[in-house]
Amino acid sequence: MDTRTKEAIRYLGYGRHAVDDETLRLIRSSFQELDQAADFRIIYRIFDLNRKENESLEIGTMKVTSKSLNRNLKGCEQIVLLGGTLGTGTDLLLRRYTLTDMAKVVVLQACAAAMLEEELDIWQEARKEEWKEEGWYLRPRFSPGYGDFSICHQSEILRMLDASKSIGLTLTDAGMLTPTKSVTALIGRSRTDAACHRQGCEACEKADCQYRR
Amino acid sequence: MIRERLGKELLYFDGGMGTLLQAKGLKPGELPETWNLTHPDDIVDIHRQYYEAGSDIVLTNTFGANALKFQGTDYALKDVVEAAVHHARKASESGVTDKREVYIGLDVGPTGKLLKPMGDLDFEEAYEAFAEVMRYGEEAGVDFIHIETMSDTYEVKAAVLAAKEQTSLPVFATMIFDEKGKLLTGGDVPAVVALLEGLRVDALGINCGMGPEQMLPILKEILTYTSIPVIVKPNAGLPKQKDGEVWYDVDPAQFAGFMEEIAKEGACVIGGCCGTTPEHIKAMTAQIQRNQLRPPVKKDLTVVSSYGKAVVLGEKPIIIGERINPTGKKKFKQALKEHDLDYILREGIIQQDNGAHILDVNVGLPDIDESAMMCEVVQELQSIINLPLQIDTVDPKAMEAAMRIYNGKPMINSVNGKQESMDAVFPLIQRYGGTVVGLTIDENGIPATAKGRVEIAGKIIREAEKYGIDKKDIVIDVLAMTISSEPEGAKITLDALKQVRKQYGVRTVLGVSNISFGLPYRPAVNSNFYTLAMYNGLSAGIINPSSEDMMRSYYSYCALMNYDQNCEAYIRQYGNRQVDVTVKSQTEITLREAVEKGLKEEARNAARECLKGQSPLEIINTQMIPALDAVGKDFEKGTLFLPQLLMSADAAKIAFTVLKEALSELGETEEKKEKIILATVKGDIHDIGKNIVKVLLENYGFDVIDLGKDVAPEVIVEVAVREQVQLVGLSALMTTTVVSMEETILQLRKSCPECKVMVGGAVLNQEYADMIGADYYGKDAMQSVYYAQQLFGE
Repeated sequence: MDTRTKEAIRYLGYGRHAVDDETLRLIRSSFQELDQAADFRIIYRIFDLNRKENESLEIGTMKVTSKSLNRNLKGCEQIVLLGGTLGTGTDLLLRRYTLTDMAKVVVLQACAAAMLEEELDIWQEARKEEWKEEGWYLRPRFSPGYGDFSICHQSEILRMLDASKSIGLTLTDAGMLTPTKSVTALIGRSRTDAACHRQGCEACEKADCQYRR
Repeated sequence: MIRERLGKELLYFDGGMGTLLQAKGLKPGELPETWNLTHPDDIVDIHRQYYEAGSDIVLTNTFGANALKFQGTDYALKDVVEAAVHHARKASESGVTDKREVYIGLDVGPTGKLLKPMGDLDFEEAYEAFAEVMRYGEEAGVDFIHIETMSDTYEVKAAVLAAKEQTSLPVFATMIFDEKGKLLTGGDVPAVVALLEGLRVDALGINCGMGPEQMLPILKEILTYTSIPVIVKPNAGLPKQKDGEVWYDVDPAQFAGFMEEIAKEGACVIGGCCGTTPEHIKAMTAQIQRNQLRPPVKKDLTVVSSYGKAVVLGEKPIIIGERINPTGKKKFKQALKEHDLDYILREGIIQQDNGAHILDVNVGLPDIDESAMMCEVVQELQSIINLPLQIDTVDPKAMEAAMRIYNGKPMINSVNGKQESMDAVFPLIQRYGGTVVGLTIDENGIPATAKGRVEIAGKIIREAEKYGIDKKDIVIDVLAMTISSEPEGAKITLDALKQVRKQYGVRTVLGVSNISFGLPYRPAVNSNFYTLAMYNGLSAGIINPSSEDMMRSYYSYCALMNYDQNCEAYIRQYGNRQVDVTVKSQTEITLREAVEKGLKEEARNAARECLKGQSPLEIINTQMIPALDAVGKDFEKGTLFLPQLLMSADAAKIAFTVLKEALSELGETEEKKEKIILATVKGDIHDIGKNIVKVLLENYGFDVIDLGKDVAPEVIVEVAVREQVQLVGLSALMTTTVVSMEETILQLRKSCPECKVMVGGAVLNQEYADMIGADYYGKDAMQSVYYAQQLFGE
C-alpha cells in the first residue's frame, strides 16, 4: 500500500483497524479521479528571520508571536514561506458527489488531504536536496493554526506570496483558504542540521486524537 | 482615439511596474498602489522611462486598487486613482518627445478573492468593487479600461460588465494562462475567447504567468478562435528564485526577438509584464515596426461556454439535455414548488453522465418567481457541473437575470421571428453575449413550408445584424411538428434543416421528440427521426440523454459518419454490454444485508423483491431499521467506520425511495416527520460534516431543512420561526466561525426559546459547546441522530 493510501485511511479514522475492501475500492477510485481533477500548484518565497523580544518573530513585514513556532524555528536564520493548493477542480468534484454519494465525498476529502500533503512532501524533499548543497537544512513545515501560531496570519502570508495571482489561492472573509484543499506553511532554514524528527502529527500535544499517526 | 488605431497598426504597451517598484524598495505584501501617494516621483519616473522607450500605452499604477484590497487601510481609493492617472499624464509631458499620440489605460487587476461558489465573494460585490475604481478612472481622464491578469472567467465578466455599464471607455481584457493553456480556475482558451467576445471587449489577450516563448502556442490557439485584436504581454521569462529574490532571465534583446515572432503570428498590441523593464520595451519598439501588423481575421465558429469548458457547434452533432424542464413532469413540478434543488441538480448530473454536452434549463411554472428560481438553478448547476447551459425561458426578465449571473457564454432559448421577441432578446445578447436559438415562427405562425421557415430564419439573421450579432451566434430551430397531425411534418422539417444550413451556413437546433406526439411507442419514431435530422444538418438535438434509443442513434450516427475516431465512443458505450447483464442477475442478497454492507443496486433490487410479499411499513420495521441500528452500533463501537456508515446510509436512501413510492401507490402517507434545520454557520464554507449528518437524519425519518453553508443567523432564525422547528443543528469548522455559531444561538434563544440547538464540527468540543450555550454537542454524526430521537421521544 502506498503512503497516500495509508494516510487517507488514517484520515478516515481507521486508527489501527484494517480497512474494508469496499472503502479501499472507494479510495482507489477517488485517487484516480483526483489525479484528473486536482491541479497542484505551489508558490514560495524566502525571507530573513529576525527575532525580537518576548518570543516574537519578524518575517519580512509580518510580526508573529508564537511559542510553538519559535520552538519549531530554533536555530533558523531564514524562512521559506509557501502556499500550495489542489485547485478549484477538487472542490467541484467534492460538491458534485455530495448530491449522489456521501461515502465517496468523505473518502475523496481524505484522499485530497493525503494528496496535498504528499505533493508538499515531494516538493520539500526536492528543495532539501537542492539547498543542502548550499549548506542549508530545513525544519518541518509549520502552518498557521498549529499550536499557538494564529490562523489570523493567513491573509498576510497570502499577500506576501501574491498567492491569489500566482496560484489562485485566496482567503474568505472568515479566514478560510479557498480552494478548500490548500495549505500555507513556514519552513525554517538553518545552517545547522538539527535532529528534528517530530513532525506534523507527532508534534501535536493532543495525544488522544483518533486521527493520530 | 485608441479604438481607431487598434488592429490597424501595431501598438506598444509599457512593461513591468511591480518589478521596478521592488527595485525602488517596495516590500512583499505592501500595497504598491499606495506609492502613488507616498512616492509620487518614483511612479512618474517609471512611466516616463516607458514613454521614452517608445510605449504608446502606459498603464496606471492601480493594479490592486480596489475596495477589497484596500479594506482597513488609511487610503482613499479615489485619491489613489486620481494620483495614479495624474502621474501617468505628467510622465507623458516629459517622456514623449516625438509627436506620437499616447494613451493612458486604467490598470485593473483581480480583487484577490475567489468568487462564489468556489469562494465567498458575491458576483455583484465584485462588480461594484471594479465599478468604483473604473468610475474614478474615467473621471480622472484615462483613455481606456485595461483589465488584466485575470484567472477566473466569472471575475473577468464582473469587471468587463462594470467597465461597459459604468463608463463609456474602450475595454481591453487579458487573462493569465498556464503552459497547458488553462486558467487557474480551469477555463480553456475557447471558453475565454467566447466569453470576452460575447461581452464585446475591444481587445483581448494574455499577460503574465510566463515568458514570450511559452506564450506563443497559447497565442496561436487564441488566434484560431478570436476575430478581434489580440494583446500579448509576457513576463521576462518564467519566474525563478535565488536567495529569496524573484528574477527573470529573458534579456531585452531576446525579448525583442520573441516579441517579433509574436507580432508576426498576429498579436496587435504588445508589451511586457513582470520582470520586463524600459530596456526590454526599448529593444522591442526598436526591432518591430508598426506596419508589421497582421490584421485580425474574422472567424465563424459557433461557441458556447461555461467557466471551464467551451463547446463548439460544428459538423459533429452535439447533445443538448432536455430534462431540466417541468413540462409534463409531475415530480419535477413538485420539486420546483417545494424548492427541492437537489432533485433538479441530480437531473443535471444524470444527463452529464449519460453524455449531454449542453444542458437546457427551463424552470417556468405559473406560481413561482421564475427569475429568482432560474438564477438559483443556474448558479447551483454551475457549482457542480462544468457543461455550458442553455437558458430556456419566455420571460425576458428571467432571461436577463440569468444571463447576467451566468459564468461563461450561454446558449439562449430562444428568440423568434416576431418583432416583439427580437426587440426583447437581441439587446440582451448584445449586452451579455450568448448564442441564441432562433425559432422559425413569426406573427403569422409557423409556416407550413420549408421555404417559409427558411425565410423567417433569414429575417432573424438580418435583424440580429443590426445589433452587431453575427450569424455565427444564431442557431436556427426549424421546428418539428408531429406527424400524427401533419403527415408531411417530418419531411418539411428535414428539408428546412438542409436549406437553412445551405443558404445561411448557420448551425441548427431541434427539439426532436415533438415529431412523435400522439403516437404509440414514441422512442422508435424519435430515434429514427433523430438520425435523419442529423444527416440533414442538425447541429444540436435537444433530447433526453437517458433515452437508450436516442443515444443508440447518436453513437451509431457518429460512428457511421466518421465523427467517432476508430469508433472509440461507440465501443466504450456498447463494448461490454453483455457482461453487465450477467453480473447483475447473479446477486441474491437480503435487503438487510444490502443496507448493512452499503450495496446500492442490491438494496434497490432487494427492496423491490421484498415488496412482493410484505407491506412497505413492515419492510421498514423488520429490515431497514434493524439494518441501520446495527450499522450505527458498530460505528459507535469503532468496528465500522465513517465511509461504511455512509455507504450503508446511501444504500438505505435508495431502498427508502423504492419503499416510499410503493407507499404512495398504496395511497398511504408516511407518518408526519419532525423537522430539523441543518446549517453550516455564517463565514464557514466547509459543509461535508453537515451533509453527513443530513443523510443520516433523513434515513432515520426526520424531515431535514438544509439551509446550506455560510448561512446568516437571521436566515436560520427566520426559517426556525416560520416552520416551527424544534431542533437546529449547526456546524462550524474553525475557531473563526464559532463566533457566528454563538451569534446564531443567541438569536435563536431570543426568537424561539423553545428550540433546541445541537452543534458539531472539527473545532468543537463539549467545553466549547457549553461556552457558546448549545444544548448538545455531537462528537460524531450518529450522536446527532440519537439526540434527535431522544428529543422527539422515539
